[in-house]
Amino acid sequence: MWNHTKRITAISLGWVSIAVFLALTVDVLLGVFSRKILGDQVRWTEELARFLLVWISFLGGAIAYLDDKHLGVDLLVDRMHPSARRVARIVTHGMVFAFALFVMGVGGTQLVIDRFDSGQVLPALLINKAWFYLAVPVSGYVISLFALGNVIYLLTGGHDIENAESSEEGVAS
Amino acid sequence: MSEGLAVLLAIFVALMLLDAPIAFVIGIATVMAAWALGYGDVLISIARDMGNGLDSFALLAIPFFILAGDLMGAGGLAGRLIDFAAVFLGRFRGGLAMVNTLTCMLFGAISGSAAAAVSSVGGTLIPEMNRKGYPKDFNIALTATAATTGLLIPPSNVMIVYAVVASNVSISALFIAGVIPGIVIGLLIMGVALIVSRKNGYGGEMEHVAGEVKRSALSCTWRALPSLLLVVFVLGGILTGWFTPTEASAVAVLWAFLLAVVIYREVPVKMLPRLAIGSARTTGIVMLLVAVSQAMSSLLTEEQVPQFVSEALLGFSSNPLMILLTINIILLVVGTFMDMTPAVLVFTPIFLPVAIGIGIDPVHFGMILIANLCIGLCTPPVGTCLFLGCSVGKSNIAKVSWAMLPFYAAMFIGLILITYWPALSLWLPKLLGVME
Repeated sequence: MWNHTKRITAISLGWVSIAVFLALTVDVLLGVFSRKILGDQVRWTEELARFLLVWISFLGGAIAYLDDKHLGVDLLVDRMHPSARRVARIVTHGMVFAFALFVMGVGGTQLVIDRFDSGQVLPALLINKAWFYLAVPVSGYVISLFALGNVIYLLTGGHDIENAESSEEGVAS
Repeated sequence: MSEGLAVLLAIFVALMLLDAPIAFVIGIATVMAAWALGYGDVLISIARDMGNGLDSFALLAIPFFILAGDLMGAGGLAGRLIDFAAVFLGRFRGGLAMVNTLTCMLFGAISGSAAAAVSSVGGTLIPEMNRKGYPKDFNIALTATAATTGLLIPPSNVMIVYAVVASNVSISALFIAGVIPGIVIGLLIMGVALIVSRKNGYGGEMEHVAGEVKRSALSCTWRALPSLLLVVFVLGGILTGWFTPTEASAVAVLWAFLLAVVIYREVPVKMLPRLAIGSARTTGIVMLLVAVSQAMSSLLTEEQVPQFVSEALLGFSSNPLMILLTINIILLVVGTFMDMTPAVLVFTPIFLPVAIGIGIDPVHFGMILIANLCIGLCTPPVGTCLFLGCSVGKSNIAKVSWAMLPFYAAMFIGLILITYWPALSLWLPKLLGVME
């Protein structure tokens, strides 16, 4: 059930990121095309590109956590006794949970709310910059949810975490 | 100040040793240190730094080069480059070692990933070299070190990361500056490989790899040319001012897509979504690191850590040569246990002001930093290229580390040349007018 949820989330995030990637490529190429061929660069391409970049980065960061692909230093942990390793994993996933929930999630939400209150809009896209920042809490809440799942799994006797491994596989099949 | 920084350092080291994801380690350590130092609104300001840290048109080149590299690497790129290198370099004894080095340099430049070069080129050439009488551990060591040259030869994502944290450093200048240092290290590796092979009689008496390639030199070049054009388009587009590096990276994606799907037809359309998700994930790994590092470096700057380190180093010696040596030694140590991107993100804001203070050009310093950390990719305890090489070539780290020694020497000589001979990095970009 839990692994199923994880899998569905990874696949959904995957499809969204494909769409964002496609939009990014078309957008930047459109910028080059409009400047070089039409002689006048479309005004919003660069702003839109930066907006999409922030989103693909934070969505990709969440996918990387679900697939357990973030860079780490496993040299010590690999040599630990399995029970010590389990404790280490509880600490690290707990830490990821705390950071994702409180900094990215709660801090990010506050940031988005402050931005909406200020009412400033971006010059070309005419949207509030809060929509940029929204990527931070969205990614934060997704990561914290699955980090919490990992911690509970480890606390209730699980050993090594099965990663989703499927954001790619799921789409291919 | 010092208590706060001690907190940052202690948490950083402890969590890193527990195999926590480095992006989160940097984030948590920053939060704790900011609290210890009595800052207010820590959560929201770090969230803001993370969001703003990625809001840059220059950084956009990173996902594009990752996607272009994945598209290029998914097909038969390695095979075409091997044939291309073999018809030219495979004519004499020890030739296969040189073919390997050249292929890694080209593959690394085109795909932008040293790890991809190790697995793709090594996957084919390590078994091939084993068959031809080269010892396995030597082959792995050669592939792992040669693969790192692709990080200096443009286009290179780690240079974009450096340019963004260093602020006000031109990506175009960095790209052009990397060409000669990358080739020099490649040649040094070839030289070492040739000396070791000849001295120990690797590769047998009658090695003539070129004769085994079923195509003519012209045909091999023709087949490899479209892939090599990717580098030409990117550099040419930047040099002529046709596009910015970011736009060049988007053009690279278009070109890589046309090659993979339309021209070579090696990547089925059905595989594209899967490939793009992999690229998005790699983007997320790099960019989350960039985001948290921006938050950390704004704290470090606020606390004047760069000035502190600068004074400490200058107090230790006022001789620029000694300071560069000290920085290099620290970075070599850092590189043994930290991956390249986090190391660039963490140490650029600390060491770059020192380097500028003693008159080093930021473009030159970027080359020193990257060449230095390339060595770290090949050293235990944490060395992506070494580890990957061992798993592709089926050997263990202890054995390969011995075979590495002559190649470490080559990389080290390269590092010294790059460090103490600024013209090696700066001559070409100045000549081509991308920097003053």
